[in-house]
Amino acid sequence: MAELSAFNFRPGSSVLHGLDVRFKLIFLVLISFTSLKAYTVALSVLTLVLVAALMHSGLSLKSILKTFRYVSVLLAFIFIARALSTPGSVVAEFKAISITREGIYYGAMICWRLVIVILTGLSFVLTTRPSEIKAAVEWTLNPFPFIPAKRIATMMSLMVRFLPVIIDQAKETADAQRARGIENRKNPVYRLGKLGIPLMRRTFERADKLAVAMEARCYSENRTDPVLSSGIMDWIALCGVVCLCLVIISA
Amino acid sequence: MNIIEIENLSHYFADGTCGLENINLTIEEGTFVVIAGQNGSGKTTLLKHLNGLLLPTTGTVRLAGVPVSENLVKARQMVGMVFQDPDSQIVGETVCDDVAFGPENLCLDRSEVKRRVYRTLKVVGLLDFEDQKPHLLSGGEKRRLAIAGILAMEPKVLVFDEPFSSLDYPGVKQVLKQIISLHRSGHTILAAAHDLEKVIAHADRLVIMKDGKVVKDETPSQLLGELEAFGIREPCASRLGMEVQSWLN
Repeated sequence: MAELSAFNFRPGSSVLHGLDVRFKLIFLVLISFTSLKAYTVALSVLTLVLVAALMHSGLSLKSILKTFRYVSVLLAFIFIARALSTPGSVVAEFKAISITREGIYYGAMICWRLVIVILTGLSFVLTTRPSEIKAAVEWTLNPFPFIPAKRIATMMSLMVRFLPVIIDQAKETADAQRARGIENRKNPVYRLGKLGIPLMRRTFERADKLAVAMEARCYSENRTDPVLSSGIMDWIALCGVVCLCLVIISA
Repeated sequence: MNIIEIENLSHYFADGTCGLENINLTIEEGTFVVIAGQNGSGKTTLLKHLNGLLLPTTGTVRLAGVPVSENLVKARQMVGMVFQDPDSQIVGETVCDDVAFGPENLCLDRSEVKRRVYRTLKVVGLLDFEDQKPHLLSGGEKRRLAIAGILAMEPKVLVFDEPFSSLDYPGVKQVLKQIISLHRSGHTILAAAHDLEKVIAHADRLVIMKDGKVVKDETPSQLLGELEAFGIREPCASRLGMEVQSWLN
């Protein structure tokens, strides 16, 4: 699971670490939506700001680039699909397939915007404790009367906690099956069934044990509420981000 | 003073299987009791009655004179249970969050939660790991985190279900050291085990279970020679006619 650890909270004392999680959540939404309206110059500015913020928060450029290994396939797929499907002046042609200049441009823009969204998400996750994210989710959902905010926040945090365990279990089960020659079976449905059924059984068993363990620790929805507090720095940062977004949208 | 009193306790599962049959047991405050028996002898079922995770079909379990079923939250706060598989017990995304889970459930003040988290992490020696992801800890560290999660609720009785399963030698030593230090600090300890080698040197009392019944209840030295008749391996030193030594020596 070490390979997924780049997308985890890292303790630190940067400006982003010190900001209130609710403000960071607002920044995440604002910057993500603004990036949809941004083009080359604005995207360059956003990229520079975000990379600088990430590096200031303790992530090296190498680690940032490493994070994109996981999404590069998706980005490449989006780029190719856009390059091949947008009408315009043809750059290269092979039988019925043609790549257009406009397709390349728009494909690159979409990928770049996605990179901005990922960088924003990365800076949020990297500088915010999971318990604070949980608290922010709870705070956001609290005003809605029919949504069980505490339950949703707990379910979300349990999912974050158990996803790596389930992935580890899947890997372990797959390894055990490889050791018994499953690779000789070429039928993917058979292989998926042999992996999926024991994995699901183990996951449900674990969920059962977890429920008992939570009960043993007096779990109830009436718990100590998380403490969220904002300061002058949060408001200054909010002004800065709003101004940046307005400039990008109006440009 | 007896902190745990079990009277005529029987438990039948939903399918009619008998889990426990007519258990009578009293445990004095501050003692270290080992409950031994083969797999399926009813050790875990018995332990789950101590904090109301299972309720008796017949009979009563009292904690400091109060029936468990009268106040389940109080019972669970008083009897902390460390499960066999720490991975299923740890619920927090970070070490710190996991320890805070119990005190938060008790609706304590945020400052008190914080105080308890740091105090217990210090006690189990995990203060440097507060922001670590629990799944990245070693087996021994995970078990210590599970203990910390329970200690933060300030229980009087600590119940360990197979505390040394799947631990390497350093892991066993870390956990054993922790248990002994908790016992010395005044906690009542109950440990269920099928392999007595690692823990028996520290126990005040040995309870042997078989087929859901308590079949023996004496001091460890009185029972060591009879263990194999109940499907429990006699510690090596005892087999060789020597005194059983602590794993920490």
